[in-house]
Amino acid sequence: MNLTTEKAMSAAQAGETDTIVNFKPAYITMGVMLVFYVGIRIYEQYFGWKAGLDSFAPEFQTYWMNLMWTELPLEFVAFCAIGGYLWKTRDRNIDAVAPREEMRRILTLVGWLAVYAFSVYWGASYFTEQDGTWHQTVIRDTDFTPSHILEFYLSYPIYIICGWGAFMYAHTRIPQFAKRISLAFLMFFAGPFMIFPNIGLNEWGHTFWFMEELFTAPLHWGFVFFGWFALAVFGVARQVLDRVIELSKEYEKDALAL
Amino acid sequence: MSASTETGSPAGKTWKSKEEFLGCVILTDWILLVVLFAVLLGSFHIHYMLLAGDWDFWIDFKDRRMWPTVAPIVAMCFAAASQSFFWTRFRLPIGATTVVLALLIGEWINRYDNFWGWTFFPINLVFPSALIPMGFWLDIVLMISGSWLVTALVGGLGWGLLFYPINWPVLAQYHQAAEVDGVLLTLADLIGFNYVRTGTPEYIRMVERGTLRTFGKDVVPVAAFFAGFISMLVYFLWWNMGKWFSTTKYLEIEEV
Repeated sequence: MNLTTEKAMSAAQAGETDTIVNFKPAYITMGVMLVFYVGIRIYEQYFGWKAGLDSFAPEFQTYWMNLMWTELPLEFVAFCAIGGYLWKTRDRNIDAVAPREEMRRILTLVGWLAVYAFSVYWGASYFTEQDGTWHQTVIRDTDFTPSHILEFYLSYPIYIICGWGAFMYAHTRIPQFAKRISLAFLMFFAGPFMIFPNIGLNEWGHTFWFMEELFTAPLHWGFVFFGWFALAVFGVARQVLDRVIELSKEYEKDALAL
Repeated sequence: MSASTETGSPAGKTWKSKEEFLGCVILTDWILLVVLFAVLLGSFHIHYMLLAGDWDFWIDFKDRRMWPTVAPIVAMCFAAASQSFFWTRFRLPIGATTVVLALLIGEWINRYDNFWGWTFFPINLVFPSALIPMGFWLDIVLMISGSWLVTALVGGLGWGLLFYPINWPVLAQYHQAAEVDGVLLTLADLIGFNYVRTGTPEYIRMVERGTLRTFGKDVVPVAAFFAGFISMLVYFLWWNMGKWFSTTKYLEIEEV
């Protein structure tokens, strides 16, 4: 929306578009993600048993490896596209952001964080423990098992993309995160991100050792270590709330009376 | 695209009215709480499943020695970190209960949808350990004492001691003795042997092994006391981890 367009708008239109909070995009994204993951889960239910037991079988290539070779490039493109778009459309005059617009952007960031949190749930909780039960049941003959193709190479990249989007949104549009790097936000994004490269260690280890008896095998502890960094959501929440308070000083007493 | 061009509110003002401010802040607070809940769920779950998961997954792993030792110690980490954040910053004595509730929601969804729904293990074999009363206990101790030191000492010990008793009402029925083909075993063992997993042989090597077994009935109190002791130490460490992760420091861009 450029300046010329804005000037052309009537006062009524301007009033309508001056909504400070709009979580609808976040709700829609989470809804789409939910439908997508339910769909993937149904696919997994059927083709896990039907075509996912023997990686040398032709149907494994058809139903599982093709899925992986499709999702990985798409994820890479999405990662680059989101980061690139947010960088290219960054606010180049960040010092001139008015308080109301800053608040609007902070609230949009909260929407991004909600999407990131939802994707972290699916990756770190749902698909990771699911992998435990699959590998306690079906002996693997490849690193690229049905559960891994959906856990490591789908749900993890998706939460990385969401976290990357949240980080880049803040860094390119919100003054407090644009001029400096928030240590908490960096850890909140980079820690869970590092779980993905840690897959390299994990799979390398599995090529040496048969470790299916214990999900708590030390080889898996790298995931735990990097998972701890998600606790930096505490710092991010504080930074967001601190700024909301600073921008809302005039209503401080009303907030305390709640 | 700059903000500075916004219309509809007085120049330099954030909010158009008090009503807008209150409505927006209440909604956003709720969404932030959901964000915290979901992130804690994900990170606590991956921590718990990969450090104590096997004892939590299977009824035949829920023994008298390792399970009451490993599970509470591992769970204490996130309970302490969460208390540190919610109590220090907001004076809310809900950190431990919130985080174990989050974990249990993640676990129950998984046990039903995946352990039972995908790999067809019965829920009797795979239900998760109860933790919520321990969360209540830790939060109540913190609320009454207002001291993280007291919570570490009293709450931490109680955390370890409570684990087995609060799980006992569900677990007891599976410790009924059974005799199968001349072998004495528990009902939990029998269920486990009927649902063979890769974890089954590890069970034979790791669970209920060692000289403590010779203490017979005393194993559980000893294990619980030990868990309480380590939980105290873990509480100290993870309370500070929670504080550290609550940092609001910024780095200069050149530093990164």
